[in-house]
Amino acid sequence: MSGMALFEQVINGLIIGVFYALVALGLSVIFGVLKIVNFAHGELYMLGGFVYYVFASELGLPPVAAVLVACAVLFLIGMAVEHLLIDPIYRGKVERVDEYAIMITFGLAILLQNIMLSIFGPWTKRPEAIFRGRIEIGELIVSGDRLAAAGVAVVLMGLLLYVLRYTWTGKAVRAVSQDRETASVVGVNAKLTGMLAFGMGSALAGAAGALIGPVFLVYPTMGVIPVIKAYVIVVLGGLGSIPGAILGAMILGLVENLATVLIPDTTRALAYKDAYGLVLLILVLVFRPQGLFGEKVRRS
Amino acid sequence: MIGSDIPRRAAVGVAILVLLLAIPVLGLDEYWIYILTIGFYYAILASSWSLLVGYVGRISFAHVAISGLGAYTSAAANSALGLPLLVSIPLAGVVTGLVGLAIGRLCLRLHGAYLGLTTIAFSEIVRIAFTAEYEFTRGSLGLPAVSLFETTDRIPYYYSFLALLAACLLIMWLVLRSRIGLFFAAVREDEDAAASLGVKVVRWKIFAFTFSSIIAGIAGGFYAHFVQLVTPSMMSIQEMGFVLSMAVVGGFHNIFYAALGGIFLEILLEGMREIGEWRMTIFATAVILILRYAPNGLFGMLLKRISGRRSRP
Repeated sequence: MSGMALFEQVINGLIIGVFYALVALGLSVIFGVLKIVNFAHGELYMLGGFVYYVFASELGLPPVAAVLVACAVLFLIGMAVEHLLIDPIYRGKVERVDEYAIMITFGLAILLQNIMLSIFGPWTKRPEAIFRGRIEIGELIVSGDRLAAAGVAVVLMGLLLYVLRYTWTGKAVRAVSQDRETASVVGVNAKLTGMLAFGMGSALAGAAGALIGPVFLVYPTMGVIPVIKAYVIVVLGGLGSIPGAILGAMILGLVENLATVLIPDTTRALAYKDAYGLVLLILVLVFRPQGLFGEKVRRS
Repeated sequence: MIGSDIPRRAAVGVAILVLLLAIPVLGLDEYWIYILTIGFYYAILASSWSLLVGYVGRISFAHVAISGLGAYTSAAANSALGLPLLVSIPLAGVVTGLVGLAIGRLCLRLHGAYLGLTTIAFSEIVRIAFTAEYEFTRGSLGLPAVSLFETTDRIPYYYSFLALLAACLLIMWLVLRSRIGLFFAAVREDEDAAASLGVKVVRWKIFAFTFSSIIAGIAGGFYAHFVQLVTPSMMSIQEMGFVLSMAVVGGFHNIFYAALGGIFLEILLEGMREIGEWRMTIFATAVILILRYAPNGLFGMLLKRISGRRSRP
């Protein structure tokens, strides 16, 4: 294993990590505010891929514009989902909140997958990429579509961090994450904040699906594996923690890419590529359930 | 459950059982006999899953992975070790019981979404491993299994799966109506309070996982020798979604409703073949609507109408 090949895997790992981070951040924002794990997150990511495909490839919009359209559409879908399915929890309309939240989002995941399967069929689609071609830095070769998409992803993440840190809305999101009731007392509209958080989380997932669509192709079950990785990441970083989600994503991207080249038996290493993170997930959940950054909470 | 309601419920149960027993005699099409047999398999999975979710309040997405594990165990024990089916199928139950014990033990501290995530991860690891280790499992080609009976007739399979379903439901019902059922409810409602009153919370949580895994494993073992080919797709998340839909549509607070949901959805799935993929779209919509507006499920709602009184919230 030459040093250059290893370096190439590190770069690839970091690029993949950026996309993982986008999906995981959305999951984390939703969990932070609503205290639920969205089991339909992978399907929102998939919807982002399809919206991008329709606008970029079928309607001929410029790729970057199509990414923004995907964000906007998913933002609206997310708000609607929160209003229809999640908000009843906070209005006391649901018994057994834990099971309800898990099963209703899982049901939504099956629904979205099968709607898209019925409309578009199971075949893969390759939408227009933001940028084609390869970029060579010395001996290092990085495919241009991935790098350009990762660039847009970094910009979007920066935007999210800015919104959370410096705007009133971001403060409201953080306030409700910390304590829903107290936030309501001081005048934050917790219901609206919940809708915004779910919308933002969905938009991030949609952006990830749109950006990665040209690389990993678009099809109805494309969200199943990436979302499981996002679960690994948010659990690794601590559910609801923003820096934890970003760091966890980078760690997972690196672990996956390095494990495939460092394990001698190549075919086996590749076959198990998707399992490394899952083993990590079980280890963290069993031995350190609060994650690397999360706070320890006692069940009430 | 209110005591005075039991005779009426038992009468409905006996009526359904008699109907199912009589169906082959009444000369139903072979194809539908076959579909109903698959329906019985799903009924066992849906009811043993709802034992965990509805009664103990512990969600698991590993249930079909465990039943798949049972199927592989029995098929491999029979073909590689030469064990007769009479030994290999119970062995499937033993192996999955041990796996359930291990999961229950590891996940003691976890609940809600964390438990959901861990069990999804477990289920996917098992599926990936069984796909990757093709020297042992033939990967996604699947492992062939011998048939349960020498004949190609569907009717022996129908009755053996019906008997298995009835036996599983009976055992689960006996467990649930004993003190253990009360312990389950105590764990579901308030673990800490239950523990403070002397309920062995740890023991009953592990027991619940083990018990439902044994049932799923034995069902999987039987199923392997019915379809005669065990593939990793038996363990997929989509399959889990299907079992969840059955339990929720039937009513996951009651093992009998969940079992009926399994049979009902399998019949619908076949009956609506012309509309293709839209079937699952309809089922998923039903799951969402039922969870939101009728958490007792279709049969819970129906029976409440029939008996005309409030039985259980």
